[in-house]
Amino acid sequence: MTVAAQSFSSRPIAAVARGVALPLVLLLVWQAWASTLPANTRAPSPAQVARAFETLAIGGGLVGATLQSLGRVMLGFLIALVLGVSLGVLMGSSRRVSRNLDPIVEGFRPIAPMAILPIAILWFGAGTPAALSIVAYAAFFPLLLNTIHGVSRVDRKLLQAARTMGLPLHARILRVVLPAALPSIMLGARLAMGVAWTAIIAAELAVGAKSGGGSSGGLGQMMFVFYAYSIDLNNIVVCMIVVGVVALLIDRLFRVAERRLMPWRI
Amino acid sequence: MNGAVNRPKLRLQGVTKAFVAPRTGHRTLALADVSLDIDQGEFVCIVGPSGCGKSTILNIVAGLDAPTAGIVEKDGAPIAGPGPDRGVMFQDYALYPWQTVQGNIGFGLNYGAPGKSMSQAERDARVAEFVKLVSLTGSESKYPHQLSGGMRQRVALARLLANGPDILLLDEPLGALDAQTRIILQAELLRIWGETAPREQRKTTVFITHDIEEAVFLADRVVVMSSHPGRVRDILTIDLPRPRDESIRADPRFGHFADEIWRLIRDQALQAIA
Ligand SMILES: Nc1ncnc2c1ncn2[C@@H]1O[C@H](COP(=O)(O)OP(=O)(O)OP(=O)(O)O)[C@@H](O)[C@H]1O
Ligand SMILES: [Mg+2]
Repeated sequence: MTVAAQSFSSRPIAAVARGVALPLVLLLVWQAWASTLPANTRAPSPAQVARAFETLAIGGGLVGATLQSLGRVMLGFLIALVLGVSLGVLMGSSRRVSRNLDPIVEGFRPIAPMAILPIAILWFGAGTPAALSIVAYAAFFPLLLNTIHGVSRVDRKLLQAARTMGLPLHARILRVVLPAALPSIMLGARLAMGVAWTAIIAAELAVGAKSGGGSSGGLGQMMFVFYAYSIDLNNIVVCMIVVGVVALLIDRLFRVAERRLMPWRI
Repeated sequence: MNGAVNRPKLRLQGVTKAFVAPRTGHRTLALADVSLDIDQGEFVCIVGPSGCGKSTILNIVAGLDAPTAGIVEKDGAPIAGPGPDRGVMFQDYALYPWQTVQGNIGFGLNYGAPGKSMSQAERDARVAEFVKLVSLTGSESKYPHQLSGGMRQRVALARLLANGPDILLLDEPLGALDAQTRIILQAELLRIWGETAPREQRKTTVFITHDIEEAVFLADRVVVMSSHPGRVRDILTIDLPRPRDESIRADPRFGHFADEIWRLIRDQALQAIA
């Protein structure tokens, strides 16, 4: 195990090559298959998707839509981070609080983010706030549950030691509970980021549908417009790939952040 | 009232501690009717077989555990909870895995006296001083998981001493160290405790150990405990002259005290093995 891991990190180029090889093969197979289809097919092919990407990226609004969705994901994620971690610390450290709140949390958890969309639109209209609230809602649960898990497993001895050194409650939370729970919180954050993306696309799709492709903006609405008005699968695939790539990049950033924030975990 | 003069620094009177397992309701009597007065500046060692309640006594004095029955007082006032006046070195160190050696040693300096009133530069200097005391120079930036057991133990000791509490509560603080380091740190501990200072300026110390010679070398009094349930079996006053150095170990009285303690715990130890 460790030997493999070492050769991985010592030869980053080889690692990248290994990561790229399989997708490349799949692309070739896809292109080969697509070239057997009649010329007027709606089925997307890599070549066409690449062309669609070019037109969308240059003056086609792809960059703006991506940034808009990304902004919503980030903001919604931040809201969920603040709420999820603070409530998680509270529930994870007090059995009484968690006993009282647990039924509410578990009652809401199975309700899919999309299911609160009607309420969100009624309250906030069909723009950014509605999309934000859905993202925050979706990202909230993984953050909350993982924070609770991490906080409830903090070594009691470490908290006792802090009390014998005179740390007041807020210092014990900041300097003991949060760092001890950080690995769990980071795991929750990565999961939350994933569901935030699924939620934003779904929310923008649905809000776009509701407003006739009008006001919601973002990648999801873009996909809805291609679906509803041109049935251009190539463009839709471009949007899908963009979501995938951006989410992948964010996840890699998280890993870098993990290593920075938790140097003690090697 | 002149009671204040004679009043012990720490008083345990009729202390009983029972642990009840939450699910089974099974009751473990860890301490039964333990009474012990410790004077200001006194160095008390506690020895006794594993499981006799030594750590439990320390936790109760630290205020981390409440006795099931009995009185626990500091300066005549009941101990209600933990505080930086009573520093604890835990048996399992309780180091913060996300803090380096330096970070761990300086961890409490922002909160308890004397570190609270220091500038950051003074705190750094104090950390460096205690890093040096426990010979960890060069390992300041390592994390606990990168240290050996003995190094971790020295970090925990340095952290306790850097915090400068009034009362030192140490749970087998030198148990993981090699013989040489151990002997050096015993002498250092006596120096920090205030061996050459008058009694009022010494730090009241409760020191748990399995090493009988260590107890005799360090202590004013040695408390010998017996187990099932944990009780004070006997208390020996070690009236060897201070300051003590290595030559004291050759003193016939030194051997006599060690034999006496060994005799007191031998029966139990043999029983435990049988
Ligand atoms: N939190 C707890 N819950 C239940 N039982 C406990 C708890 N802490 C200690 N005990 C029990 O109390 C008794 C005394 O434990 P304690 O840790 O004080 O022993 P000790 O003298 O420090 O032993 P050692 O020399 O092995 O450290 C033991 O029988 C132990 O099982
Ligand atoms: Mg113990």
